[in-house]
Amino acid sequence: MSADTLCDLDLSGVADAIHGGKASSVEVTEAYLRRIERHDRVLKAYITVMADRALARARTADEEIRRGARRGPLHGVPLALKDLVAIAGVRMTAGSRVMTDHVSERDADVTERLHAAGAVILGKLSMRECAFGRPVVDGAFPTGRNPWDVTREPAGSSSGSGVAVAAGLCAGALGSDTGGSIRGPAARCGIVGVKPTYGLVSRRGVVALSWSLDHVGPMTRSVRDAAVLLQAIAGHDPGDPSTRHAQVTDYTAELEAGARGIKLGLLRRFYLDSPGLHAEVKSAALAAFDELKRQGATIEDVDAPTLDLAGAIWVTMLSEVYELHRETIRDQPQNFGEGIRTRIYMGALVTAADFQRGQRLRARLRREIMALFEGVDALVFPGHAAPAQRFEDIATGQIVVPGSRYTNVWNLLGLPAVVFPCGFSRDGLPVAIQIVGRPFDEATVFRIARAYERATDWHTKRPNPEAWTLTS
Amino acid sequence: MRASFDAEMRAAGLSLAGRDYELLFAMWTEHRPQREALRAAVPMPDEEPDA
Repeated sequence: MSADTLCDLDLSGVADAIHGGKASSVEVTEAYLRRIERHDRVLKAYITVMADRALARARTADEEIRRGARRGPLHGVPLALKDLVAIAGVRMTAGSRVMTDHVSERDADVTERLHAAGAVILGKLSMRECAFGRPVVDGAFPTGRNPWDVTREPAGSSSGSGVAVAAGLCAGALGSDTGGSIRGPAARCGIVGVKPTYGLVSRRGVVALSWSLDHVGPMTRSVRDAAVLLQAIAGHDPGDPSTRHAQVTDYTAELEAGARGIKLGLLRRFYLDSPGLHAEVKSAALAAFDELKRQGATIEDVDAPTLDLAGAIWVTMLSEVYELHRETIRDQPQNFGEGIRTRIYMGALVTAADFQRGQRLRARLRREIMALFEGVDALVFPGHAAPAQRFEDIATGQIVVPGSRYTNVWNLLGLPAVVFPCGFSRDGLPVAIQIVGRPFDEATVFRIARAYERATDWHTKRPNPEAWTLTS
Repeated sequence: MRASFDAEMRAAGLSLAGRDYELLFAMWTEHRPQREALRAAVPMPDEEPDA
């Protein structure tokens, strides 16, 4: 297999190649490293490339596989991690000058699990500053360029993860999602992004942003890949109390069961009829809903009036972010970028009464949404408001970007959400839909997404590497 | 507006000047409708977050 052929495979394809003897883990790892060397000067997906470590782990994996000691589907498969996930002995910056010299002392829980599964970690991926900054194209930590159009941003904050997976610079990646930071880049880069149920995946060793909203999850080229990667990282970790009630099931067992008999609720008023929804995203989403119906699902309109207050309840995040960064921004404000500095200061202006009001309304919203699940198996709606924007068109002064309503509601409620591609805009930019399920029911969410995916070929499309150039 | 903003800054213990001050004022102004919506939405007595 040629190097470019290997890099065009999805994670399961790479695993099959390695475990079927068509390519060694070392050959696959070298193929990704060459592709990173060739293209990352433009794409800026990586902050740190761990070539020597990756090749050493790949050699170990090949030796173990040769001995018949296969660890599972990720054995020998090259992955990459957002640069807020700790790897012992490796620099971890969170995309910020505040952490520019930080070297992690021990692995994050998810890193330990990936190592135990035999995965090869290629490196650490670029991101928006501290998972809350604005996109930047220069400086020490540029946030990456969208491989479908390098003049456009990939969304964030897991921008490097989205870019690396879409561009074939790794077989799969981990991101983090506090208000849409996995699902935004996944939607804009044409890949699958999963925000798991709150408490399913440990955040120990992951740089925090907002403790009640932070989630770690997979970003991959297919639904099956996402299920496989989630299986590897999910589960209770005594080092993260939020995982004490984690319920892990087999995420691939029912993956091919189809959508027949599935009842879906469409949040039409809040999402489909939202004036901020791009017409081409809307039409692609409607076509995707029709496809799900052809696959046997039923779709009925549902609503929850407190969705209108989700933006107001977002004071939760502002307050938690300020609590986390208060001392650092007092002591070294100059080391934060301007965009994130203002956002952190905004949290100082949230009163205790506002925060408490937000928590009570959050409870109301949760009650309304959970009541919907008495009549439907999952909720469905567009994955994002609009395709990827040009860097120069992005407003820099906003706290909450327009369109964040498509994702941040589900962080407030901690429900599992998967974004996956459902077409392209006229400009050739990916568009996506989103499925949200009951707590810890990732298996049903994956099953529905897979039913759509296997009836379409959007997930097989790849961006053109010849277009990864900059004219100026 | 400026007086309210300055009072909130003082209450929060923030002391900003120049561009940081102006950017935060702009963001605070942009956020006011959300905050007013939050304060206007009165929860029912039994609407409490889970423990």
